[in-house]
Amino acid sequence: MSILLAHFKSNGKEEFITQEKGGIRKESENKGFKNLELIENRNEFIVDVFNGGKIEGDGVFDFRYGPVSGIGEAGVFHLYTYGERILSVKIDTFYKRRKLDEKMIGMDVNDALKIAERVSGNFSVSHSLAFSRAIEKAMKVEVDDKTKRVRAIALELERIYNHIHVISKLASDAAQLVLASHLSELFEDSLCVNEIFSGSRYLRDFVTLGGVTKVPSDKALNSVLKEIEKNKKSFTKLYKNSMTSRNYIDRLHSTAILSARDAAMIGLTGPSLRACNVKEDLRIKDDIYKDLKIVTDEEGDALSRMEVRAKEILESMEFVENNVKKINSKETDRMTLQGKGDGLGWCESPSGAIIYSIGVEDSKIKVLHVSTPSVFGMAAMAHSIVGNIFTDFPFALDSFGVNFADAAR
Amino acid sequence: MNWWPVIGMSKMLTEDKKYESKARVRVKKMKEFKRSLNIYTIDVGNCNILNFEMQALKSPKYNIHRFGIYSAASPRHADLLIVLGKPTDEMIEPLRCTVNQLPEPFGLLLIKGCGDDGIDPNELKLPNVVASMDGCPSPSEILAVLLKISGRSD
Repeated sequence: MSILLAHFKSNGKEEFITQEKGGIRKESENKGFKNLELIENRNEFIVDVFNGGKIEGDGVFDFRYGPVSGIGEAGVFHLYTYGERILSVKIDTFYKRRKLDEKMIGMDVNDALKIAERVSGNFSVSHSLAFSRAIEKAMKVEVDDKTKRVRAIALELERIYNHIHVISKLASDAAQLVLASHLSELFEDSLCVNEIFSGSRYLRDFVTLGGVTKVPSDKALNSVLKEIEKNKKSFTKLYKNSMTSRNYIDRLHSTAILSARDAAMIGLTGPSLRACNVKEDLRIKDDIYKDLKIVTDEEGDALSRMEVRAKEILESMEFVENNVKKINSKETDRMTLQGKGDGLGWCESPSGAIIYSIGVEDSKIKVLHVSTPSVFGMAAMAHSIVGNIFTDFPFALDSFGVNFADAAR
Repeated sequence: MNWWPVIGMSKMLTEDKKYESKARVRVKKMKEFKRSLNIYTIDVGNCNILNFEMQALKSPKYNIHRFGIYSAASPRHADLLIVLGKPTDEMIEPLRCTVNQLPEPFGLLLIKGCGDDGIDPNELKLPNVVASMDGCPSPSEILAVLLKISGRSD
């Protein structure tokens, strides 16, 4: 089943960018996609694609979360309810709209890369990687294997800390304070690993056009290996122990259930889609990832999403361990990029597919369209929370691993 | 059984780190904040790194409770409002409303974040700005500034 992720007009023709079987394709006809309106309105608001967001009736009122209190980010959740049960959700994204994608148009490609990195700070590598791949494709440049491997390690390090953050938030929502404290320490530890690897806690300024800024030294690689081994041991233990806690599991189980069919119609990708038992991952076609096991789960609830993320952390740690051994600190050749063309670049971020469609002329960006996973994650949250009650809200929100910075750009 | 609190205290496990920051702090001599702070954070349009750094600051690795730093659930319970990022047009009004809700005496810490999107929060002429930091500081730098504000370090 193809999942629509971006829709725009170029040269008077409509283009639909879809994901299917681990690949991204351009299509020219509308195959009855449900989420077209969602993509069109994403700068203003996000609603459930099945009921259009608003609901009216006796005693139904709009309960507002945000933009200051409650969610910790500049955005608003409108929960339509008659008390306790949530009937519908509308999410305002315009509070955090920084217009970064509009700002990039007309800029030099290297300056635009810095802005792409800032769209969402916790997906820095994913955004810069998708952006660089699009530019590299437009200028018909192929990077060497070692660069690909170093970039893949950075991407997996990003996945590790984001997933740990999500699980730590879920644990603290479920009042599992000991687990949450351990996980937040592990989160801080994994940020320190990032710093050893790239010099930046959030792997900033690491991916550049045609290469990486600096290949880590042998000493750094060794200590990354040591730290990852330590973190893997402690995470395995924590995960094993957390799954014996009835309180924790009961709280997550059957909260915010999403079916595979609905998820694909909304446009959901990433671990949240894999938790609905869909084996869809942009990494499977990549040769570097040939040993990677794609984790799926069956039930599509908050518990499944947590389990998929936990198992992905372990997979990613193993990937980093195996691949750090395969690289050396010798610098790679940096490509010089020149020319013009159109390119489509994508990447499997910790929360789903990030896609950049870019047209370049004279090293300046002429056209740019970006698709971010949080838009669809939030729409999926809005759909899955219907029928649940207020206290389920943080579990539904946190289990999708979405943020307003990414959704509003 | 391990007596972690005792072992930790005897080895000063958490105290061997120095928290340093170059940011200048303007707190009056009389010291509005007496060795304890209740902080409230508001995101006004940062790229999410600052939100993550605040989360990291609250992790047991920094253990900010031992310095009497707690996060308040509402601006009405807070001594210090931490403004994360450069405000977008839509967030200026909510920011001003939040500042109006703070009880006296209060302080504002502006952490501007990277990038030049949005408005410089210093231009908004907000009251009682005690310190302002550029870029995306690490948790230990933020903690250094918090310690200066609470009067625990110079």
